[in-house]
Amino acid sequence: MIPFLTYPLALMALAAVPALAAIYLLRNRFRRKQVSSLVLWRFQVQSKAGGAKINRLQLPLLFFLELLALVLLVVAATGPQWKLPQSARPLIVVLDDSFSMRAVCDQVSAQARAHDYLEKLFRRQPPPSARLILAGREPRSLGATAKSWREVDELLAQWQCRAPAAAIDAAITLAAEVGKQQANILVLTDHRPADEKISSQRLECHAFGLPLDNFAIVNASRTAFGEQDRCLLEVANFSTGARATKLTVQTGSNSVQGSSILLGAHESQRLVFNIPAAAPSLRATLDADSLAEDNEVQLLPPIRKRVRVQVALANENLSALVNRTLDATGLRAAISENPELVIHETEAVAGSNAWSLAWSTVAATNAYTGPFIVDTSQPLAAGIALEGVIWAAAAATNSPGDVPVIFAGNTPLLSAREDALGRRHLTLNLNPEISTLQNTPNWPILFWNILSWRISEMPGLKESNARLGAEVNLKTTGEAVTVIQPDGGKRFFPKTGGDLALETPLPGIYSVVASATTNQFSVNVLAADKSDLSVCATGQWGKWSEDTEHRLVEASVVWIFGLLALALLTTHLYLVATAKGGS
Amino acid sequence: MDTALRQALHDGEKLGLRYALQIPQVAASGWTGSRSGRRAGSSIDFQDFREYQPGDDLRFIDWGIYARSDRLTVKLFREEVTPHLDLILDGSRSMNLENTAKANAVAQLAGLLATAAANAQCTQAVWLSGEGFQRLPNDTLTPSAWDKLELASQRTPEQAFEILPPKFRRLGVRVLVSDLLWPGEPVQMLRRLRDGAAALFVIQLLARDDANPPEHGNLRVVDSETGDESEIYIDASIARQYTDNLAQLQQSWADACRQCGAHMTTLIAEDLEGSLSELEAIQLLAPA
Repeated sequence: MIPFLTYPLALMALAAVPALAAIYLLRNRFRRKQVSSLVLWRFQVQSKAGGAKINRLQLPLLFFLELLALVLLVVAATGPQWKLPQSARPLIVVLDDSFSMRAVCDQVSAQARAHDYLEKLFRRQPPPSARLILAGREPRSLGATAKSWREVDELLAQWQCRAPAAAIDAAITLAAEVGKQQANILVLTDHRPADEKISSQRLECHAFGLPLDNFAIVNASRTAFGEQDRCLLEVANFSTGARATKLTVQTGSNSVQGSSILLGAHESQRLVFNIPAAAPSLRATLDADSLAEDNEVQLLPPIRKRVRVQVALANENLSALVNRTLDATGLRAAISENPELVIHETEAVAGSNAWSLAWSTVAATNAYTGPFIVDTSQPLAAGIALEGVIWAAAAATNSPGDVPVIFAGNTPLLSAREDALGRRHLTLNLNPEISTLQNTPNWPILFWNILSWRISEMPGLKESNARLGAEVNLKTTGEAVTVIQPDGGKRFFPKTGGDLALETPLPGIYSVVASATTNQFSVNVLAADKSDLSVCATGQWGKWSEDTEHRLVEASVVWIFGLLALALLTTHLYLVATAKGGS
Repeated sequence: MDTALRQALHDGEKLGLRYALQIPQVAASGWTGSRSGRRAGSSIDFQDFREYQPGDDLRFIDWGIYARSDRLTVKLFREEVTPHLDLILDGSRSMNLENTAKANAVAQLAGLLATAAANAQCTQAVWLSGEGFQRLPNDTLTPSAWDKLELASQRTPEQAFEILPPKFRRLGVRVLVSDLLWPGEPVQMLRRLRDGAAALFVIQLLARDDANPPEHGNLRVVDSETGDESEIYIDASIARQYTDNLAQLQQSWADACRQCGAHMTTLIAEDLEGSLSELEAIQLLAPA
């Protein structure tokens, strides 16, 4: 049974078969025509005067030719493959896509040496077909099977060597699956294989790396630290001996600050310093060495999101307590117009996108000392520890739709609900007059959690600095988003569903344009494993076994069916031209 | 009678006003009439004298010559005759072929010939083949007064001849209107038609569908007279065979006509008015 849905062309061609039959059936249908006399029709006429007689359908030779041609085309459209004897094996090349392949020695990189080797291999011993697999953070197959070096060379244009890691083993596994254990696998890398004793007769590993001295920035971060930003830079020396380099730091248009760093072999040094929060991008560079990618980082100011909170509590003492707590979190905005969170004692909610924290005020309350049940999967409950806490609350059940986050017995103490617009409505069942919660660390933790949760649901980037290859999360309100990559390439997301995970294949500054706002984030090459070039090596591990026997390899035979169909159609044309087809 | 046929008769009658039947010399004999015959007769037109022979009408003895020469001489006057047209119509179903103008053309042609005959001071009789030959009611009147012109017989004119032959007037002009599409030897029938006639004209009236083979494709052909059916695929060779068969049939009739001294022509029903010159060419009609 041919899976026709897999081959839409075959399905269409097959649909033409009944159409052809219908055409001939209709063509063969006899039209009734009254004539003056049959005297003129006495040649090859069969009389039906004797009554009804079933005649066999008279189909001309042309019909069978057309039918056969259609069937051949149907089979051809399914891409038939036959097992044909073949002595050479197909080749699958696993390419190390990590940035360490770009390390240069005498102006030549490991990538260029591997490229030359592959070209020579193709010139010397061209395989019947070749596939390329990029070993980056994850293995990725490069396009379709290539038949010639020219096609392979075109595919190699995608081999950029910018990944922060090389999943060689996973790529070899993928290659083995793709090659069905029949293809030769060639690994081109700059490191030794994990296991230097290669038992497989189909695997050859070639390394083109050189153990080179290299300084690298292996860690960099910029975080909010009050009204300032705290920066961390970690510089490592991956050389075989003690060496010095110069670290240059520039923030915005300020003057460049340089400092010399002397590090022993495989030593690293962390630099922590503060810069004003208003300072724009921070750029740190090291002296040029064999690997340029890890010598520079750019750090953008961290995302500082604040929540506009409106405290609408009637109880003045309670209002003051809450205000103090909110201010202590540092996550509250200075203004409270168009609030994003309203803390109140009534049911009213202000603003279209405002969350609410309703303070349940019931006179009759019970004091609970535990045990408290906390739903730790909720972001509200992060870090909450209620041992020894007295929580006074009204004995009530939660409203329909409310999901309890903290409850004592069957009494919900803190619950959350999401409405149709995606807003969260929290209900705090607490009588602070006879409770001790507000006197414990749980109190600021709870408010920090509330504000932090609210911030996480605000549109915009989650972070402004990321490592190469990591995903950067973006919260949107459903509008179209355009991401401009450091190389100028644009990616357009027409309709976003709210959360967007942006890929970071290149280091540099990315711009995210959503509606009228543009945000930026920086991606830096921070991968100590790949910056350590001292473990790079050159050599060959494993060897393909010599093939002496012929193997049966599935080869496409579409051309056979195509030729047969062509021959039939030529015959058809000849018969039509000479009127011998019986039509 | 079908109103369409009656209308066609009327149309033919109007068309025939432009023509007169050409009477051959041999036909100028027969019943006494208003047209000069080829023999001496009883008209007032003097023709000649000759000696009295026993049996001559004593009223035509020229007594003045007898007084002068003592010889009995009779005066001869030109005979006045009425020529006659026997119009023989093929009444078989094939003359009423569906989706063709054949039946109308039969009626139109009959009306035309009858009117042309009247213009030539001929009497007429219209014979319709069927279960034998029958005269049409009122056939001596103008064509629009004819009745029972029905082309629905399953028998060919030849078969009708066998059942009940027509009683033709001697020395009349006989015109057969038929498609001639039946098997058999035409000479026999033509001889019987020609027997005693002053002239015989055979008009083969075909529909365009009869003259031209149908388009390519599968065809179930149904004989309009017998209802027999045949299925056949029409292609170029079959179409050629059909044309050959028709030509062969027409040739056999033409040969038979030549043998019997008859004149034959073929008309296409759908182009009747345009082909009336053919009737002049065979000297059946002349402009009135």
